[in-house]
Amino acid sequence: MAKVRVATMWFSGCAGCHMSLLDIDETLIDLAGMITLFNSPITDLKVFPEEGVDVTLIEGAVGNEEQLHLARTARQKSKILIALGDCAVTGNVPALRNGMDPDEMIANIYGDKVTSNGALPYEAVPHLLGRVRPLAEVVHVDYFLHGCPPPAGLIAKAVLALVAGKTPELAGPDLKFG
Amino acid sequence: MERITVKIDGREIVTSPGRTILEVAVEHGIRIPTLCHLEGLSDVGACRLCIVDVRGQLVTSCTTRVADKMEVLTGTDAVRAYRRTILELLFAEGNHVCAFCVSNGGCELQDLACELEMHSVTVPYAYPRHRVDATHPRFLIDRDRCVLCGRCVRACGEVEGARTWNFAERGSQARVITDLDVDWGTAASCTSCGKCVEVCPTGAIVRKGESNGEMRKKPEVITRLKERRTHG
Amino acid sequence: MPSRLEVLVCAGGACVSSHSREMREELGKRIDAHGLAEEVRIIETGCMGPCEHGPLVLVYPEGVLYKSVAAADVDEIVREHFLKGRVVSRLLFRSEEADRIIREKRSIPFFEKQMKIVLANCGAIDPESIDEYIGANGYEALGKAVTSMTPDEVLAEVKASGLRGRGGAGFSTGMKWQFVRDAKSSEKMVICNADEGDPGAFMDRAVLEGDPHTIIEGMTIAAYAVGAQRGYVYVRAEYPLAIERLQIALKAARAMGLLGKNILETEFSFDIEVRVGAGAFVCGEETALIASIEGRRGVPRTRPPYPAASGLWKKPTLLNNVETYANVRHIILRGAAWFSAIGVGESKGTKVFALSGNVRNTGLVEVPMGTTLGEVVFDIGGGVPNGKRLKAVQTGGPSGGCIPVEYLNTPISYESLKQLGAIIGSGGLIVLDEDTCMVNLARYFIEFTASESCGQCTPCRVGLVRMLEILNRITAGEGTMDDLDKLESLATAIGKTSLCGLGQTAPNPVLSTLKYFRDEYIAHIRYKTCPASVCAAMFVAPCESSCPANVDVPAYVGHLANGDVEEAFRVHMEHNPLPGVCGRVCYAFCETKCQRTQVDEPVAIRDLKRFMADAASEHGLGIAPPAKVKPEKVVIVGAGPAGLSCAYFLTRLGYAPVIHEALPIAGGTMATGIPSYRLPRGILAADVERIEKAGVEIQLLTPVADVEELFSAGARAVFAATGAMDGQTLRLGTPSLPGVYAGVDFLKAVNLEGKTAVEGDVVVIGGGNSAIDSARTARRLGAKSVTIVYRRAKADMPASREEIAEAIEEGIEVRDMTAPLGLVGSKRVEGLRCSKMVPGEFDASGRRRPVAEEGSDFVLPASTVLIAVGQQANLDLLTKAGAEATADKNIAVDEASMMTRRAGLFAGGDVTSGPSTVVQAIAAGRRAAAAIDRYLGGDGIIVREARVEVASRYDESEYAKERERAVPPLAEVEDRVGSFAEVRGCFTCAQATEEARRCLHCDRAQDEESGVREAGGAVASRAGALPGD
Repeated sequence: MAKVRVATMWFSGCAGCHMSLLDIDETLIDLAGMITLFNSPITDLKVFPEEGVDVTLIEGAVGNEEQLHLARTARQKSKILIALGDCAVTGNVPALRNGMDPDEMIANIYGDKVTSNGALPYEAVPHLLGRVRPLAEVVHVDYFLHGCPPPAGLIAKAVLALVAGKTPELAGPDLKFG
Repeated sequence: MERITVKIDGREIVTSPGRTILEVAVEHGIRIPTLCHLEGLSDVGACRLCIVDVRGQLVTSCTTRVADKMEVLTGTDAVRAYRRTILELLFAEGNHVCAFCVSNGGCELQDLACELEMHSVTVPYAYPRHRVDATHPRFLIDRDRCVLCGRCVRACGEVEGARTWNFAERGSQARVITDLDVDWGTAASCTSCGKCVEVCPTGAIVRKGESNGEMRKKPEVITRLKERRTHG
Repeated sequence: MPSRLEVLVCAGGACVSSHSREMREELGKRIDAHGLAEEVRIIETGCMGPCEHGPLVLVYPEGVLYKSVAAADVDEIVREHFLKGRVVSRLLFRSEEADRIIREKRSIPFFEKQMKIVLANCGAIDPESIDEYIGANGYEALGKAVTSMTPDEVLAEVKASGLRGRGGAGFSTGMKWQFVRDAKSSEKMVICNADEGDPGAFMDRAVLEGDPHTIIEGMTIAAYAVGAQRGYVYVRAEYPLAIERLQIALKAARAMGLLGKNILETEFSFDIEVRVGAGAFVCGEETALIASIEGRRGVPRTRPPYPAASGLWKKPTLLNNVETYANVRHIILRGAAWFSAIGVGESKGTKVFALSGNVRNTGLVEVPMGTTLGEVVFDIGGGVPNGKRLKAVQTGGPSGGCIPVEYLNTPISYESLKQLGAIIGSGGLIVLDEDTCMVNLARYFIEFTASESCGQCTPCRVGLVRMLEILNRITAGEGTMDDLDKLESLATAIGKTSLCGLGQTAPNPVLSTLKYFRDEYIAHIRYKTCPASVCAAMFVAPCESSCPANVDVPAYVGHLANGDVEEAFRVHMEHNPLPGVCGRVCYAFCETKCQRTQVDEPVAIRDLKRFMADAASEHGLGIAPPAKVKPEKVVIVGAGPAGLSCAYFLTRLGYAPVIHEALPIAGGTMATGIPSYRLPRGILAADVERIEKAGVEIQLLTPVADVEELFSAGARAVFAATGAMDGQTLRLGTPSLPGVYAGVDFLKAVNLEGKTAVEGDVVVIGGGNSAIDSARTARRLGAKSVTIVYRRAKADMPASREEIAEAIEEGIEVRDMTAPLGLVGSKRVEGLRCSKMVPGEFDASGRRRPVAEEGSDFVLPASTVLIAVGQQANLDLLTKAGAEATADKNIAVDEASMMTRRAGLFAGGDVTSGPSTVVQAIAAGRRAAAAIDRYLGGDGIIVREARVEVASRYDESEYAKERERAVPPLAEVEDRVGSFAEVRGCFTCAQATEEARRCLHCDRAQDEESGVREAGGAVASRAGALPGD
């Protein structure tokens, strides 16, 4: 059986969802035989393989222009797209800045409050979007894994189902936010 | 005593008139999701989550009285879909951020998301800006998490009799206020009884000093209080 | 002593706001000054109806109605009319069709089809005088009820009348009364709901202001019938005049024993209090209204219990609308049988409508149920002003829906409107013309209901705002097709699950526009255009948006205003390579949307274009061919406007296209159909030559017999722009006779083959520009007489107004409402048998379908008959090549790619759209050029430079005030007939500059606070940005 091609991405979030992914313990060993992991913070590969992947898990909300672009690329390059964790599903903590002016915020944090070598990160850093969005507000998302972070068992359950070519059955407590 | 027969989800139930569909359903172990309803407070039918199908019409089961030969369906596909839409609207309206809420794990709204199988919110989130009022020495209100169920308003008015809580503004601007929209800490009518805290279904009105996920509320105290007052 | 003259001055809200009070004061002074105080009595009345024409003055005994009477007009009325008996005709109403003055109120069409029951006293009596009310049979019904009828008899009468609630829901009034009567309670309440809040509704206000006693009497009778002791009128605070007059009336009624203890000395006691609402729309909902009277927050509660069982202070409560109560006294006096004979089906009696929007006679009207929508809009309302077309009628306010023009024959009833997805509602009736954007309209209503939602229940509080966000996105050009499904599902959920009527009906405007005007939503989403040129985020300016070719009008007009012809010409050529032609024959859609209309008249854009084109030719301005030519060969079939435009824009994309034209001249219909007095041949030739010099090769006298041959000869793409050149025929009984021609063939014979003479009487059949062209050409060729026969009314003629007017000036007779029946003659045509037509029912276009008047046949003598009723395309060439034909006998192309079913074969212009205008063909050619480029691997972008706003080099403020539109010189009529020289002249340079400066610069972003449009302030490119950012 051909290995399932998987990618994972990390947008505006704390990496906790990826930690939870690694927390699936010995299931990791089983998974290793079933999947090929392409671009991911875990592999440190940055670019999607030309021919795309089967499944992409995205952690974090869409907060800047690069993430918006990557979300669209991910959608194009993936058969199945999963929003991994509350930030990707609802915006969660990163979205708390919505309603504030991003430019003012940047000036405040990188300018006014910096005592030496202050410089506004405008040149090399992607611009912040006017508001942080859940993944599903910018691209179509196939499955949502709730939780902050989603419990390791939930991630394992969903990924194993997809690897086996089945629809992950997400119900009841699986849908608990937070 | 007059007896009537109603059919709920195909089950024939003999009961007495004057009771609500919700009461009869609960009594017979039929679960209908609710949010603004609380046993012991008057019913207003505001959140609309307890809607059921009565011969094609959608009515709120907490306010609709049973009648003889009434046929009620509590969980048709349409009813479930509408409930989910309403729940999505509630989530979209506020900033719930469950992960960092004192009521995480003890929140009726969070539980409803599981019960009604809400996978995601399909309308854009509003991300409103609200001011947290922590001027009261023991309690605080975070309106980001308020679902405007009005349980605090009713508990304060009907049970405590203080009428500190009320509604102000309308439409999407509607919010609960203390006295004439003064800081809670300066609201002269507040008796600091804490009933509003116990009845609030989410992490909107909470006790100070509780940490993330620690807050557990006891809305049933109102139910018991009301029962004791009625039956002595 | 009764007065010799009674002068009724309308003091309805609308007339007061147009200064009837000041006028009335002046009137009193003038009457005193002329010593007429004894003879002339002034009476202030309530609303007379035709509010558009206020202030109104009605003089009895003659019944002469004056309109728009200002204080300055009063002296003349007093001196001429009151003293000398001479009616002041300049202040009278005018009949539109007959162009005659109408003296008496009853013969004004506005009043003719109305039936006033509810409004009988409005505008007829002084609302502040109880004596006048009693004089008009006032309180007679109350007397009859309380002294000679039992409550049950009263109730039975109301029940039998079939009266239904006029507040919107249409529930049986009799049944409601019965419920309250049957409720067991020692105390009962009667409430009048006068919390009228629908945008555009002012029915209740008019009754309260114009005839308050009617409401008091109706409520008192109702109280007697249901056994109530206390009554409340809940009026909104925005109606101070209504409150004032109601208070005066209540006081007067109490003083006369008609209200209060022991009414008319019977055992029956009842009194009424006025409660003033604070203006929340939701307080019109009965349970919210009750909460408000009780002094609580005005929010609805779930029902049951209904107010009839438990209402105000938990007492059984009867709650009816103003208009419902206003009907009661008439039913009691004249009987249920009389009332139920009026109306249709289950909808009895009359209905008052507040007619507003794009209609001539805005105002208050009352018609029997069963009157058709068309009769209300056209016969009473006078139709849509400014030559615009009717698009839809919105009824029922924010809870209602939009009824499209196809349904004008619908008799108004509760059931019929509901079936169409609208409701009668409280009676708001907003007429919408072609300039209304239905998406924006729906957005407006949702904005209204979202802000008026009480916020109690989730679906209405949150759902409406989410709907509004989606609608905002769509009107900003940022919508997606998924949004439509989302809108529909949200709308359905809100409607099904909201607590009260406000939320349950709030989505209706969206649902009904989605049902009837889905194409407009799709235009906003898929094509990013607002067809009505309303949603400003999507276009440069309304003129640019309404131009089929999207010529950047503000930019080229701006350059002309700066005196820069060269830049103006360059901008124009980016979208339209035929300025000389379009400066003469364009329909100028741009001018119909010009915002200058709000100040005075539209900018003369077409004449400016002509000036620019002529100046450009004079200076020899041209466009250079591409420096580097792409190798792909593209062939165009047909050198009409679509073919020429496609070829020109292909050169802009780097190609070297070749046009094959069958005729010996390029231009298509522009050469064969349009007479040279409108479009001189040299002008067309100059436009064509410029296109050739830009890199297009035109091969004349090269008919294409087989498209496949072009492909085999190396063409990578072929654009077919073969037009619609064949004249349509009419079945005129007998087979055709000599002397009968198709209009297009006749024009072609004149324009191409040198036909030079027409003799005798010429009759032209048709109403379009080609009919006018045929007629004016025949006139110039020496016809003895020329008559145009058209089966509809003159106003319905599709030809341009100017053309019709010029034809009439030249002595051409236009016989409208005349239909051709058959040819008369044996060897040669001798005449045309015609029938007079009368207007019948409304057709799907909103015009009255003409029907033959029986026995009105007559023969029009004719030695030549020209049939100009339309053209059609010859499809053989293209269907043979594998293209598909549509049901309308046009060539089918994919909307986006403009390609036919045959790969590489593109088509556009009249051959795909049916006969249309030059500018539409130009637009099609441009789109095709881009599509062909994409097909051949390019990106299809014709203009790469970003749009630059033109900064003015003159003082704009000088031109903001009213300023007449410039008119170019027209040739004298005597010089026109018999000559093919151009009729319309050209602006001088100074005239053109001045005219161009009248432009209001709608292309600039407007400062919201000051309303000032600053150059350089337009919205920056949003590429990559998300909606809401």
